[in-house]
Amino acid sequence: MSQTLLLAKDIIKTFRNGEQETCVLKGIDLTLTQGKMIALQGASGSGKSTLLNILGLLMRPTSGELRLLDHALTGLSDGSLSSYRNRHLGFVFQYHNLLPDFTALENVAFPAAAPAGRLTGDIRKRALELLDKVGLSDRSHFLASQLSGGQKQRVAIARSLINNPKLVFADEPTGNLDQDSAKQVMALLRDINRNDNTTFLISTHDNSVAANCDEIVRIIDGKIAN
Amino acid sequence: MPFSLLVSWRYITANRLQTLLLVLGVALSVVVFVFITALINGLNIYLTQETTSKIAHVELDPPSRVARVLVDDSRFVAQPVSTLQRKQIRNWQQVIEIAESTPGVSVISPIVEGNAFLVRGEATQPIAIQGVEPNKVDAITNISRYIIEGSAELTTGGLIIGADLATELGLLIGTPVLLRSERGAERLLPITGIFRIGLANLDQRVGFLSIRAARPLFDLPDGITSLGLKLDNPAEAPTISIMLQNATQLKATPWQEVNKSLQDATDAQGRTGNFIQGFALLAIVISISSALLLSTYRRRAEIGIMRATGISRQFVAIVFILQGVFIGALGAFLGAAAGYQLCVQLASITRPDGSSMLPIAPNEGGYMLVIILTIIGAALAALLPARAASAVDPVEAIQQ
Repeated sequence: MSQTLLLAKDIIKTFRNGEQETCVLKGIDLTLTQGKMIALQGASGSGKSTLLNILGLLMRPTSGELRLLDHALTGLSDGSLSSYRNRHLGFVFQYHNLLPDFTALENVAFPAAAPAGRLTGDIRKRALELLDKVGLSDRSHFLASQLSGGQKQRVAIARSLINNPKLVFADEPTGNLDQDSAKQVMALLRDINRNDNTTFLISTHDNSVAANCDEIVRIIDGKIAN
Repeated sequence: MPFSLLVSWRYITANRLQTLLLVLGVALSVVVFVFITALINGLNIYLTQETTSKIAHVELDPPSRVARVLVDDSRFVAQPVSTLQRKQIRNWQQVIEIAESTPGVSVISPIVEGNAFLVRGEATQPIAIQGVEPNKVDAITNISRYIIEGSAELTTGGLIIGADLATELGLLIGTPVLLRSERGAERLLPITGIFRIGLANLDQRVGFLSIRAARPLFDLPDGITSLGLKLDNPAEAPTISIMLQNATQLKATPWQEVNKSLQDATDAQGRTGNFIQGFALLAIVISISSALLLSTYRRRAEIGIMRATGISRQFVAIVFILQGVFIGALGAFLGAAAGYQLCVQLASITRPDGSSMLPIAPNEGGYMLVIILTIIGAALAALLPARAASAVDPVEAIQQ
């Protein structure tokens, strides 16, 4: 039986804008199991990004329970959540993904080198392996600003894997790419998913991306549609 | 190399023009600091040298009053009373031996001094006579340097007086003049030298005589009235005074005590300098703080990415503090070097007589102090931007 990675129970999120309160998530229950590639779909404003941020420990829910690898996360400090993100989760974003003044290798190594305090030989070796995996070992010394859009996204995928996370969140990872690059990126995610048993939760508008996943979770008006 | 150091160095070198301008701004403030410190210290050194080169660093006088035991209501009490005797140092040879064996004392000059009048025709002028050993005429005040007519030679038994006094009485070299001492003794003496030191007190009121010629005038066949001492380091006068006072039972007066106004003047200069130094440091803090604060806004999205990938607030804060320290250190060393060069150039500008136009002391620019203060100031200046950077909310920053 597959291991449960992340369990969300009755997640509610309301935003307050002056007097007005908006309820964006209205009781979400979700279980993410190991080895799956899951698409998260929904219209703009449906609460998709908010859910991704909450599951990715970037935002706290107004109420509800979250468990990561069977650890309760409710009430943990910002520092502890940050440390959980660093050790167990990976992120790939649509924009602003890399640090432009650093090389591809440094970008990949960043989430491991910063907590370690040094860019050690081991971290460098692992970063190079990951760059090789995403097909960019020959670009390791290029500055991020010198890479194409598709290359940047592949470096971002390599970075998301540096600390061997079980779960990677990708927010519109192909949203900013041309069709060919988008296909390459999706094929890469699929490869990693199959070879390393890494779970992906991919938020996407693109139906062809969703069609490539094992499961599709649809969110409509703050609730998961059955 | 620590990773935070690599990251902050990369940020600093990413925008070279901006960093260069910022470092130049810091360096300029450091130059101002160094210049003002070297100028104020130079001025203090100049004023102190000017003063201490003309006066005794320590003067030894007989105590004006002595402790005497009196009977009061059948109790014995000690009370200072006037000696009612002629103030003189009788055992001065012994005192000289003590002073000679005191480390830091370079020259000792026995002096017989007293008040007198110079009488020429119907005109009289008061004069303070300093009777000194002829070979020590330059020991306390370098009279030879200020002689404008005649010579500083005292062996011939002549009188050396200041230029103002000479003009007052119409005295020229070789003119005989009657000297009437406070003890009533009179003697006709030729003028053998006229000096102009530039201090009204000396030029108008002081005359030099050989100690031998002074003795009968002031009725002191054996004793002397005081001893003037020069020290290797005039700043040590207060401590050496205390040592000598204890060893000789004479009253020892350091030069600082009789020149309180000089101390006040140098203190006031010091305070003015502190203000300018403070403003220079403030300018450094403000420029670094504002530049780094701008940088945190420009790099918001990047900081958001770092925070999203679970990099701690502390790491982000350290990266920004280190940027401040780098900029501060670069600016401090550059500014200190440029400031030194500037001071050396300014010190080399001379008046036609060869003296320096600005009494600036290039070696006294407070370099260590300014470098340390700038680096500390830069680190403090980075605190606010570091706080702002570490508080960036990753969700907001990435969605922008």
